[in-house]
Amino acid sequence: MGANQWSLMDKCCDLCRHSSETPCRSYITCAVEGPLCHDNIECREKRRFRISEIKNGRNGLKISIGMGSCGLAVGARGVYDATLRELERRGLEASVIPVGCIGLCYMEPLLEIHKDGLPTAIYGRVEPRSVGEILDTYLEGDVSGASALRNRVGTAKGELEVPLLDEIDFLRYQVRWVTRNCGIANPESIEDYIVYDGYRGLVRALESKPEDVIEIVRKAGLRGRGGAGFPTWLKWSICRRAEGLPKYVVCNADEGDPGAFMNRMLAEADPHRVLEGLIIAAYAIGASYGYIFVRAEKPLMADRLERAAEDARRYGILGHNILDSEFSFDVEVIRSAGAFVCGEETAMLAAIEGGRAMPRQRPPYPATHGLFGKPTVINNVETLAHVATIMSDGWEKFASYGTGGSKGTKVFCITGSAARTGAVEVPIGITVRELIFKVAGGVREGRRFKAVQIGGPSGGCLPENMLDLPMDYESLTSAGAIMGSGGLIVIDDRNCIVDIARFFTSFTMAESCGKCIPCRVGSKILYDTLTRIIEGGGSEDDLRILEEVGTFMKNASLCALGQTAPNPILSTLRYFRDEYEAHIKMKECPAKVCSKLVSYAIEGGLCVGCGLCAKQCPVQAITKSGERLYHIDASRCIRCGQCIIVCPRNAISRR
Amino acid sequence: MDSKGVQLINEETKNIDRMVEETVRRYGRSRKALIPILQSIQAKLGYLPRYSLESVSSHLGIPLSNVYGVVTFYHQFILEPPGTYIIQMCMGTACYIRRNSENYRFLLSLLEIEPNSRTSKDGIFTVLRVRCLGCCSIAPVIKVGDEVYSRVNLDEMRRIVSFYRAKARTGSSKHA
Amino acid sequence: MVKVLIDGVEVEVEPNSTILEAAEKAGLKIPTLCYFPGLFVEATCRVCVVELSGTGRLVPSCVFPVSDRLSVETDNVRVREARRIALEAILATHRIACQSCPRKGACKLLELCREYGVEGIPVCAECLLYGGDCLLTREEACLGPITNAGCDGVCLREGKPCVGCRGPIVSRDTVREAVKLYVGYGVSLDMVLSRFSVYNSSQPDYCRIVKLLSNLAEEERHNQGV
Repeated sequence: MGANQWSLMDKCCDLCRHSSETPCRSYITCAVEGPLCHDNIECREKRRFRISEIKNGRNGLKISIGMGSCGLAVGARGVYDATLRELERRGLEASVIPVGCIGLCYMEPLLEIHKDGLPTAIYGRVEPRSVGEILDTYLEGDVSGASALRNRVGTAKGELEVPLLDEIDFLRYQVRWVTRNCGIANPESIEDYIVYDGYRGLVRALESKPEDVIEIVRKAGLRGRGGAGFPTWLKWSICRRAEGLPKYVVCNADEGDPGAFMNRMLAEADPHRVLEGLIIAAYAIGASYGYIFVRAEKPLMADRLERAAEDARRYGILGHNILDSEFSFDVEVIRSAGAFVCGEETAMLAAIEGGRAMPRQRPPYPATHGLFGKPTVINNVETLAHVATIMSDGWEKFASYGTGGSKGTKVFCITGSAARTGAVEVPIGITVRELIFKVAGGVREGRRFKAVQIGGPSGGCLPENMLDLPMDYESLTSAGAIMGSGGLIVIDDRNCIVDIARFFTSFTMAESCGKCIPCRVGSKILYDTLTRIIEGGGSEDDLRILEEVGTFMKNASLCALGQTAPNPILSTLRYFRDEYEAHIKMKECPAKVCSKLVSYAIEGGLCVGCGLCAKQCPVQAITKSGERLYHIDASRCIRCGQCIIVCPRNAISRR
Repeated sequence: MDSKGVQLINEETKNIDRMVEETVRRYGRSRKALIPILQSIQAKLGYLPRYSLESVSSHLGIPLSNVYGVVTFYHQFILEPPGTYIIQMCMGTACYIRRNSENYRFLLSLLEIEPNSRTSKDGIFTVLRVRCLGCCSIAPVIKVGDEVYSRVNLDEMRRIVSFYRAKARTGSSKHA
Repeated sequence: MVKVLIDGVEVEVEPNSTILEAAEKAGLKIPTLCYFPGLFVEATCRVCVVELSGTGRLVPSCVFPVSDRLSVETDNVRVREARRIALEAILATHRIACQSCPRKGACKLLELCREYGVEGIPVCAECLLYGGDCLLTREEACLGPITNAGCDGVCLREGKPCVGCRGPIVSRDTVREAVKLYVGYGVSLDMVLSRFSVYNSSQPDYCRIVKLLSNLAEEERHNQGV
């Protein structure tokens, strides 16, 4: 989109009064359905034409490329450049839109083509050099090479062989509620957002009283999507009633849980929805200023949110007297300098105030004593995106998904050893089994499922026989896991449970802010004990120490980081005790991972002396010991396992 | 404070002072602005030399101890001059499950980085362990400068290192 | 005034008081370790935890505010167990022999360890975590107890006294309390004065603090008849 091009947000002619200086209640509707402020067929046509251009592309040709952080990581930039080049070479004019991620991470980079009269086709794992060919065959009316289609027209070649997007397993069970625009709208364009029904929730909120907005969110049954599942309306209502001005709203975009990236995906793909939710929250509680706290490691997310705020401000959707409602609110994007504990509410507030992010004891809760000592509401990205969608589509629809106590949908990220990795939005209450085996296609490359780790480093590991558990707040907590931010990491049989428990503990130990004894010292004790077990020096008493200290941390730590840190250990002790015992009693690691307990050896009879292993070995531990034989020096070997991968005869084994 | 305190000559301290003054003017003279100011300085210099902390402290009227406390708390801040290329190794769960810690160990041996250092002897690479880059579905992931590499293995690491080494030798340095 | 039930004893306290204060009023003693009113109230040691009746939640009584009809248990099995492990965790990073400690065993930590059946030996866990030894044992003014801990500072690892590079926890009012604490440890007043001057030099209130310290030093000398 050129900078000087006329957009729907602009005046259509001199009769149009719309600008940020003259705010108007019906600005958004007027821009899309109008003009309403004056009657002119030409203006109407001009708007209609622009809308169609956004939806179907210039000249009816639109190419969208998934350019979220992960798309970029697998080469989407190259695909984008190649697309521009190939179009130019063919003299074709088209819209080329960098869109956010639709969650099909395992198929990235993705390219979607729409031409009027042809079915919209999605191509997965696209390489820059194949773009030209994709374009040619598609434009000739042949879609047989596509991975999926958005619709069927009945005119294109090979249409029936390609599945519809909604039919592929990864999307079939999904309900695209907050992720509806992901991969469709251009995240850098406020115009796209309003064409795809954006800011209608805000308009509706501003037409109601703040109390009524809170009431709608209450009826919807929305609970915080950041982890604890606290009812959103209640937090708002407490803050609204709290004394002290100004009030603040903070958007928690400090997604720090490894294995969870739904907030990054949402904010990168549809930043205006998050911003809209934030403005609605501010209106509901009577806040005049807000902060969006973004994690340093996710710069694109910060850029997109900043851009969204700038655009919204330019058109009077943010700032003084928003849409002539007499409500004023502005927002600032803050880039965190990086510390996991910032995800904790009070720590995040300390970070915004410019200090070390140390949590403090609650109560008093931030809703009454928050940022700079003023009433503050903190909601995470996904929660706010839900708020915007609930306000525009109505609470009834939202509440029709989910279970009795946990309403609506939730975005989960499935990673690790799953066959199909990515982000999916499903109704709360779907079982863990359905998510892993139906949506994500089970475990990759025929490996065996061992456990699934739910809720980040503070969550728990569930074994196979617990998979029929519905994914809702209460069920997960009772099983020793937590909903957390909604990351599911699939662990296969080549991973050692004790080793993974130690990995999580090393994470929380390093990320502990060091304020309270249970977390600071407790995590160190847990880590040392696990190390002892992994290195073969564990005793039965160590299991008691793990349980005792773990329970103490859970009960007595100051903040949620310390309270949940022992979850990975406590849950694995409950479900995988035999693996701990194997390390302690038999001094062996069943998964052959813990390096002190395994050794590598070359079978003399199988080795043909090709020397590939010696070349691959990063520490030169493999030497020639005979005509057709190599030998591994156990004292130099770092047990990286690379030799096993390269050996053509499978002559190397772990013992 | 920084044990390898870098000696700066007068001219450089003046430049830093000028830059800090400018940055403070842009973000405002308040406690709240401390972190953005430090971030902005690091973005320009690549790290935070001791003198810049002293300068920020006096410009903002915040005790140096407090500034140092903030700098050491957050992962983003670096107190030593980094190599030409910063390699961030993701140590998130998904990357761990897909064996990024092995890649990390391999990289350290490949670059001959001493146990107590994070920068290679030739000054080309600094290796940092980071907490989840949010690209879990294409794990394991490493980031060199602003470039993200997905699904890396030992061979890929060799290729990446030799690519950047060659790039650094031809003199196209990023932090020039 | 609000009514609170502490171990079944009903007391009336100000609405903004803490559980600890309410317990004191009820005549019950809750052990504390890191609690120094006016100096440091951050609830880090978790020795003063109590249970909110009926919820199973353990909260630090030194900072947790009371609410009307709040009921707490200060000495049940779970509370005692948590206190014991907290003390054990503190001891795990505390490697000083009492013989070489100026307090010679007359310390609260040791007292509590005996009471809760913790075995081992007993002050500033932070430095020890990084392999340092306690500077107070050398009668040097380590400022660890009144500064923001957790620094992994080079100075400490090299065995030099902490000069409080993280800064004091609170400003002015800490000084008087802190001086009492150090003098109690056997550190000379001149030493305290010199250390405070070093790390408070960038404080806005520097002149006031120095004046306050000089007055204190004068008073002390006068008392000692020097």
